[in-house]
This record gives sequence, structure tokens and C-alpha cells, in this order.
Amino acid sequence: MISRLSDRLPDRTTPIDPSPLLGEWLNYDVATRNISRLTLAQRGDDIVLHINGVPDVDWGETIALPFALTVDGGEAVAFKAAYGFDFVNIAVLAYLNKRLLVVDAYSTFHDGSGRSSYFVRDHFYLR
Amino acid sequence: MRYVRAEDRPPNGDAPPGGHVDPSPMLGTWFATDKQSAGVVKLELAERDGAFVVRAFGAGSPEPVDWGEVPAIAYAKSVMSEEGMAVSATYDFGFLESLLAAYSKGGILVLDTFNTFKDGSGRSAYFSREFFHR
Repeated sequence: MISRLSDRLPDRTTPIDPSPLLGEWLNYDVATRNISRLTLAQRGDDIVLHINGVPDVDWGETIALPFALTVDGGEAVAFKAAYGFDFVNIAVLAYLNKRLLVVDAYSTFHDGSGRSSYFVRDHFYLR
Repeated sequence: MRYVRAEDRPPNGDAPPGGHVDPSPMLGTWFATDKQSAGVVKLELAERDGAFVVRAFGAGSPEPVDWGEVPAIAYAKSVMSEEGMAVSATYDFGFLESLLAAYSKGGILVLDTFNTFKDGSGRSAYFSREFFHR
């Protein structure tokens, strides 16, 4: 089954190689008010994401799911992850662009504070 | 007010606007800039009975594949803004789950999709990035 032509079953598939994503990534913008750095590590079969927010807030770890560029698999070019805090849910969606990691955070508050759901983007380099 | 980054905090202790983000700047029909796209070819963003919804169409032959309508979430550019500039929605096709996340900038809608197969077909999870105009 397909939802679009790019879903079509290939002749051969390769497991996703997450290695292009792994390591410690630092924000290019030293004045960011969002994420200062993030780490992606392989632990068994899992890719574990660890984020630090500004100023010096440890978000802890969560599982990140890697994505290839096609259904054929191969090198990872993107990942998604989610943080569920008791006042805000944050979807962390990222992709690689020529060794630049582009990280989008989609945040939705559920604490009745009246804050708007918001989108923010940051760019990271591999340390 | 709790936060995990400075961006979560209203500046100067200002009162937040109430939590509603207006999706109207994004409403309408968006067409893929790549007419040969094998991915998403059209997006309809609409309000239905006060709810924000998205309807996507995938590339197909001879006709695009209508994915139907699902609830969407609108996002502003900050906790203090009410003007929608980004959207997310999830499609669960049974065999495939697709997360759609998009933002608008300068009259263009930039769509990322994160696609995970659940049917044991061996197809890899894959990412796409596509551009749309109204």
C-alpha cells in the first residue's frame, strides 16, 4: 500500500545508519533562548537524545527515531523525538543539511498559563 | 510560570494572550512547487466548526491520493503571539504513520514529513522536505 508514489516498495532496502546524527551538537547562536546543545547517542538499538535548554535547563533523555531520505534506507538524514513535561509537550523535529543540523521545536502548553503554542528553529554544528 | 528554556517565558512578566493561535494566515490551498513531486502534491488548510484541519493529497497515478481530513495544531512564533505561522498534523494510515510539520515564510509553506511504516514491508522510515505555494 502507498499514500504517495515515494512510498513504493524498493527492490532492496538497507537498515538506517544513524551515525551521521550521532555526537554532541552545539547551537551556532550563542544568544539563543531555546536549545543550547543536544547529544545523540546510540545505546543498544536505541538512539537517545539529550537536550539542554537555555539557561542551563536539563531536559533529560528521550528516544529519537532516525529517518532516511527514501524507503530504501541507508544513512539517516533526520530524526524526530518528543518531550512530555507536565506543563508543555515539545516535538523535536530535525534534519541534516550539509552537516548543519536544523532543529525545529513545536511546543504546546497544557498548564492553563495562556501561553501560545509556538514554533522555533535553531541550527547546530557537530562538536 | 514553569519553563525549560528562556523562550517559554513571557518577556517582562507580561500576561500571555490566552493560548489561542489564529491559523487564518495559513488557511487556503497550497500546491507543491515541484510539479513532478512523488510526495505530497497539495495541502488544504481550513477551519471547520472552529477547528483547524488539514487535508493532504499524495502523488498518485492517474490521480492524487486523497488522504482525508485530520485535526491540526497551529503554532505562533512565540508564546506571546496569536498569529499562526506553523502547523503540525498526524496521519495514521494503518500501514504507515506520517507526521506533517510545516511553517510558512514569505508566501511559501515548507513541509517536512516523517514517515514510519508499520506493515512489516521492510520499507525504511523516511523524511521528506517539500515547498508549497498558494
